[in-house]
Amino acid sequence: MKFGTMLKDIVESFFKKTATQMYPEEKIAPPERYRGELMYDPKACTGCCLCTKDCPSKAIELVILDRAAKRFVLKYHRDRCVYCGQCVVNCKFKCMGMSNKDWEHAVLKKDFTVYFGKDEDVAQFLASLAPTPAESTNG
Amino acid sequence: MNTFTSFVSILIFPAGLTLVFTGMFYEWIDRKLVARFQNRVGPRWFQPFADMVKLFAKEQITPGLANPFLFFGLPVVAIAGALTSALYVPLMGLNPVHSFPGDLIVAIYLLSLLTMCIGLAGWNTSGRFSLVGATRALTQMFAYEAPFLLALLGPALAAGSWQISEVNRFAQTHWIIITQPVGFIVALIGLMGKLELPPFDSPEAETEIVAGALTEYSGRGLAIFKIGKSIELIVGITLVSAFYLGGLNGVLPFLLKTIVVLLLMTVLQTLLTRLRIDQTVGLWWRFGTILVLAQIMLIVFLRSYPL
Amino acid sequence: MNTKQNLEKAEWLLANWNKETTYPEADRLDVLVTAEDLRSAVTTLHDAKWGYLSAITGLDLGVESGQLEALYHFCNGPAITTLKVHLPRVGDASLPTIEDIIPSATFFEREMSETVGFQITGAKSMDRLFISDDWPEGVYPLRADFKIEQAAPVEGRYVDEIPEEGVVRGNTFVVPIGPQHPALKEPGHFEFTVDGEVVTAARMRLGYAHRGIEKAAESRNWIQNLYLFERVCGICSHVHTMAYAAGVEKLAQVEVPMRAQAIRQIVAGLERIHSHLLWLGVAAHEAGFDTLFMYSWRDRETVMNLLEQITGNRVNYSANVLGGVKCDIGLEQAKVIKEGLDFLEVRIRHYLEVVTTDAMFLNRTRGVGTITRVEAERFGLLGPTARASGLVRDVRVEAPYGAYTRFPISAVTATNGDLEARCEVRLNELLVSCFAIRTLIDNLPEGPLTVKMPRKIPAGETISRVEAPRGELFYYIKSGGGENPLRIHVRTPSLCNWVSVLEKAVGRQLADVPMLIAGMDPCFSCNDRVVTVKHSNDQKTWSWKQLREYGIEYYKR
Repeated sequence: MKFGTMLKDIVESFFKKTATQMYPEEKIAPPERYRGELMYDPKACTGCCLCTKDCPSKAIELVILDRAAKRFVLKYHRDRCVYCGQCVVNCKFKCMGMSNKDWEHAVLKKDFTVYFGKDEDVAQFLASLAPTPAESTNG
Repeated sequence: MNTFTSFVSILIFPAGLTLVFTGMFYEWIDRKLVARFQNRVGPRWFQPFADMVKLFAKEQITPGLANPFLFFGLPVVAIAGALTSALYVPLMGLNPVHSFPGDLIVAIYLLSLLTMCIGLAGWNTSGRFSLVGATRALTQMFAYEAPFLLALLGPALAAGSWQISEVNRFAQTHWIIITQPVGFIVALIGLMGKLELPPFDSPEAETEIVAGALTEYSGRGLAIFKIGKSIELIVGITLVSAFYLGGLNGVLPFLLKTIVVLLLMTVLQTLLTRLRIDQTVGLWWRFGTILVLAQIMLIVFLRSYPL
Repeated sequence: MNTKQNLEKAEWLLANWNKETTYPEADRLDVLVTAEDLRSAVTTLHDAKWGYLSAITGLDLGVESGQLEALYHFCNGPAITTLKVHLPRVGDASLPTIEDIIPSATFFEREMSETVGFQITGAKSMDRLFISDDWPEGVYPLRADFKIEQAAPVEGRYVDEIPEEGVVRGNTFVVPIGPQHPALKEPGHFEFTVDGEVVTAARMRLGYAHRGIEKAAESRNWIQNLYLFERVCGICSHVHTMAYAAGVEKLAQVEVPMRAQAIRQIVAGLERIHSHLLWLGVAAHEAGFDTLFMYSWRDRETVMNLLEQITGNRVNYSANVLGGVKCDIGLEQAKVIKEGLDFLEVRIRHYLEVVTTDAMFLNRTRGVGTITRVEAERFGLLGPTARASGLVRDVRVEAPYGAYTRFPISAVTATNGDLEARCEVRLNELLVSCFAIRTLIDNLPEGPLTVKMPRKIPAGETISRVEAPRGELFYYIKSGGGENPLRIHVRTPSLCNWVSVLEKAVGRQLADVPMLIAGMDPCFSCNDRVVTVKHSNDQKTWSWKQLREYGIEYYKR
């Protein structure tokens, strides 16, 4: 039976640096395998839609503008995604990945939906959405 | 002294406003030290002030079953008791504002008035947690008052007076901690029990009864009680360091000695687990009182029959 | 005796009552009995000490078949005997209670009755356990014909036993802990009737974090369900996916490569370290020892960083896929893991020393909540709570699964059964885990990481048991041959262990109650998907004056 078994810890800590991470002045970068936000490479995509079938929270939708010409737009709901990585596993053509740089996901505005794709494809898709006010409240 | 000096010394310096701010400053030191011992950063220097400002700005919700007269009056009485008891101790190392023979008892009584008000407040609000907390607070008060008072009595007996300023003067020439070490330990632990610091914080055990007797208090009432508690901290530490650590005769000795006592208390706080109420009472009412009584017997014996 | 002989013995024991016997898998026996014979069958198995009651599952066999099925699962090592009872969907579906034979059955029966719709006759209390009080009567969510529109809340319906806001109700003074309370990390409701400081009765209600996961699983495909079940709990998420994936792989008759099994075991070991360090901090915080809380949670960051480096996330690792694992452990990860483990071992040994020698902490834990071995068996306890009483209930030892067949683990037990013993058992388990992880990393088998799984899992049912940090996790998975499961039933270990708190709280001081709750390591998220009242005989009326005098008197003793 001893008194004060943690005395050594206490005294040492007084002279050591604290264990607290001083965010936001000091930001520690996440490790390499960190599963952050989704990244999509439209060049390799063939439109098989395997990624969207198994998403647990219906966070991604593939809009097919023209299958033969390989023009796709991936609609990604950042607020629904659970960052599981199943879509990355499912994709056979390696067009999906999870970023390990972008991890501060709190935002002030509610624009959660992100559109991935080649610029002209995305522009065309957004233009087709704009006229209908009911649709623009989606996502 | 004339009216103006009395006015300033009671309300502004060294008692009154200065005391309130010093109390908050010491509370900050306590929290910062505890945090550093636990390898954390701890709050910044203005945290207790910010807490008070926030609490004063919040709405005060009165429980339905509480007597409103008591509900609003008890914090005022509590802080009045604490502030008044501070008038008799050598704050900031200066002479006490008022002094008369026997003021040791008065000062201690006024401090315990604070605890009794907390107990009454808990009973008055009659929430389930407050009742359990109030019972524990009063039980602990009975357990710790006696040893604490007896431990302060040792130096008083050695100085031959019950007046705090006399004992302070006597202690400046005799370091009583060397001749009465047992008394010092009992005084320190008795102070921790009186202030309800861990490991004796059973009356406000956060994980068992939310906040103890003060659970239903919010806003101004809670702020006033908290200020009262930090004043109690200062007064208690001043008494212990004045009596045992060689008296306080200036601002610098005051700061140094009180911070040493605070450091010791902080180390004990972080090192020990909270005791259950039956264990606190059982442990200290037996051991503490016996030790200090033995000490006092020794002093009386030595004074009556000097060697 | 081996599994086959074990099962044959069970069949022989139940010879009088079985209407039909099947062996759906090599280690399982299904026996069909009628509702009238149920009690005799259960008593026979219990008296012959053939295993312990692990779970009771209820399911709806479909509108066409017109039947409900209740399954009583008894486990003895790797052998599982299931007693099946069929009852009509419409009309009288009453089952006799078995809670007087096996006390832990009460929670299982109540969960089954309120979600599937059996009537349990003879039970002491049929209050709602998980479903909220304003759920309409007669609407059973797990039935096949349940529609969401039926679930309209009923106004003003509350369980009428909850005391009014006030001090003294009748002869009792009730202290509520929860649903919001600093002692609880997750919501749950406890009511302790106290007599001064001594608890005289205990009562609880669960279901505040109930999310309807079992029902939600029926409308998602097998792969989506993997992630759904991962989120049943935050700190045992990996073992939930292990159990689920193991069950589905068994149904699909797919052999997962040994390298993937080993990696699963490594992540499970790291998760165990994470869970037990978290528990240590929480128990210390409940005791008032904040320093130990802060230090153990600081060291927990090390293991969370390790998990993040291997799997990509600190909580809800998603390391498993159906058929294997997602992440590999290469040389670099192995080095990092070993460094982390070195640091953690030093700290764990230090905590072991603190927990067993610190006089003030022992004051709060030694002799508190002592459960003897006999009581532990009777209550049906699982996990470290049972192992601290000397009862070896560890699925990794009794029924090794996955990589444990090649890299076995030794079970850690203690004899005292009090809180101190539970602390010791958990910390020693961590040391065993560290050693096991090192062995695994050094001997990681070569091979692929995943194997191909069909999208439609063949019809059948299976039982998957794994050892979570809190005890045995039991999954019953039934497939109809399609892309979605028919029924998945999860029985989490915390549900079995609640009995220990309620029984042991009576007679102790109020201050010990949070420690007792923390001592069994409850995971409310896990089990929310119960009320017992136990009275001691002396209750008096206390006025405030009497209570205060009692407090004054108390110190004089």
